[in-house]
Amino acid sequence: MQQSRRQFLAAAAASSAAALSGCLEGPGTGGAVTTSGVETVDGPTPPAADNDLHIPYEFAELRSNVVSGGVPKDGIPSIDDPQFKDADDAEIPGGDPVFGVVRDGEAKAYPQDVLVHHEIVNDELAGDAVAVTYCPLTGTVQGFERGDVEFGVSGRLLNANLVMYDRSTDSRWPQMLATAIDGPLEGQTLREFRLVWTTWGSWRRAHPDTQLLTSGTDYLRDYDDDPYGSYNPQRGYYASDDYLFEPLAEDDRDTAKSVVLGARTGEEAVAFDKSVLLNERVLECEGTSTPFVAVADRSLATGFVYENPDERDVTSADDGYRVDGEVHEPDDLPLDRVLAWDAMWFAWAGYYPDTAYVG
Amino acid sequence: MSGETSRSPAAASRVTSLVRRTALAVRGALGRRDGSAVFALTTVGYLAVYLSGIGFLNANDGETAFVVVSDPLARATELMAPYQYEPIALLAAGPVELLFSPVNTLLGLGLGALVGANLAVSWVAYRSPAACGLGSTASAAAGVPALLSGFACCGPTLLIVLGLQATAGLVAAFQWLVPLSVALLVATLLWVGNRVDPAGHSQ
Repeated sequence: MQQSRRQFLAAAAASSAAALSGCLEGPGTGGAVTTSGVETVDGPTPPAADNDLHIPYEFAELRSNVVSGGVPKDGIPSIDDPQFKDADDAEIPGGDPVFGVVRDGEAKAYPQDVLVHHEIVNDELAGDAVAVTYCPLTGTVQGFERGDVEFGVSGRLLNANLVMYDRSTDSRWPQMLATAIDGPLEGQTLREFRLVWTTWGSWRRAHPDTQLLTSGTDYLRDYDDDPYGSYNPQRGYYASDDYLFEPLAEDDRDTAKSVVLGARTGEEAVAFDKSVLLNERVLECEGTSTPFVAVADRSLATGFVYENPDERDVTSADDGYRVDGEVHEPDDLPLDRVLAWDAMWFAWAGYYPDTAYVG
Repeated sequence: MSGETSRSPAAASRVTSLVRRTALAVRGALGRRDGSAVFALTTVGYLAVYLSGIGFLNANDGETAFVVVSDPLARATELMAPYQYEPIALLAAGPVELLFSPVNTLLGLGLGALVGANLAVSWVAYRSPAACGLGSTASAAAGVPALLSGFACCGPTLLIVLGLQATAGLVAAFQWLVPLSVALLVATLLWVGNRVDPAGHSQ
């Protein structure tokens, strides 16, 4: 049975975390903040990453491609007072998708069927203020450090992707780019962290003590109904090759809704077809300025991407991956891990038409 | 100059006459048992379809519940989408679950009443031999504008079903479908109302 509709009403009154490579600034908690290329602003700002990310477009061009998603600002309300319950109290089907994260031993899972109605959860994770964000149209879930700032849904889309706004400066942040393209913080890149897109059954097996976000929000929604279709079983928008909103660029190296594990650094982007990765276990990309290697974690049906500048030999073993003769867990190879997350291919290729692709 | 000033009162007079004849036709139609039945059934039926279309009226799995949000007055006017407002309460009983939004309900009732009035007048005119110049095709066409507001309420879901790609123009157009529906329903009501003989209704 689906999560009970009643559960979302109960409060009606009421990993593998991987930091982006590079040094990170602390949060701006007030007063003037100056970052390279970013205006000086008063008030709190979200923590900025030192390193910019590869964005193969001018901001002006991106701004000119922002379109209305058909809803007003906050018409899709973020969850600002999230409620959780223990795994033992959860009643959602094991095959339903959840987005999981572990920080300092604290495991949390965010069900897709709740996030599809809210897209952003302003939460705390092991004492840190974070925003867990999900865009159903691009199939992307990304975590951001938010400092003293909340994020909301602007109602606008870029490349079919959620454009967030921060409630301090109203700067506009396309989710996948993790960088403000408009407003006082234009040019600032957010600190990101990894959420794993997996199923509730897999996540619970890996983290029996996990907490699960409930549908107990102060908004009334039919959480049994995903307006775009379903992942369990897969149908509707998620199973169709049709776009709803036109991407910035089209690329036929993979089908539109194929899921890729995408990673980007300051210089380039790379995408690994997820189903191929889960089948092959190890995929290498050597056509980039820095070689990358991706390994699968079949227990969670996900993968991890590493820079492999010395092209060290990575092979699959029964209990992990062998690097220079030693076996390691998929999320713990002795290489520099790059933040990577699931995305629909059309959305990844739209933002990164110069991306390397392995599939 | 004198021609322009004399046209305005004439136009106003024509509009007044148009509205008066339509009001008479509606009153006449609702005064008959079959006309009022068509009106009531259409209004209620349209409201149910409208609320279902925007996802506010759903099948229930048997649980019973009544929940109100913490600040219903403020929440009632929060916009979810063009002409779509936040629900403030949930009522679930038997086979039906209703997310209740006062504004959406009023909107659905208003549109339903317009469709109902159109169909009631058309029905009575169609059934009355004395009524002039209103064929069955025209009667059926009178309710078509209501479908436009149906498109408006379903928004992106409809695009998925139809396999259409949204464009900025299409998304903008969705925002105008409800007022366009109201305008077309009023226009068809005036058109239908002026083609029936009010005297014929009483026969």
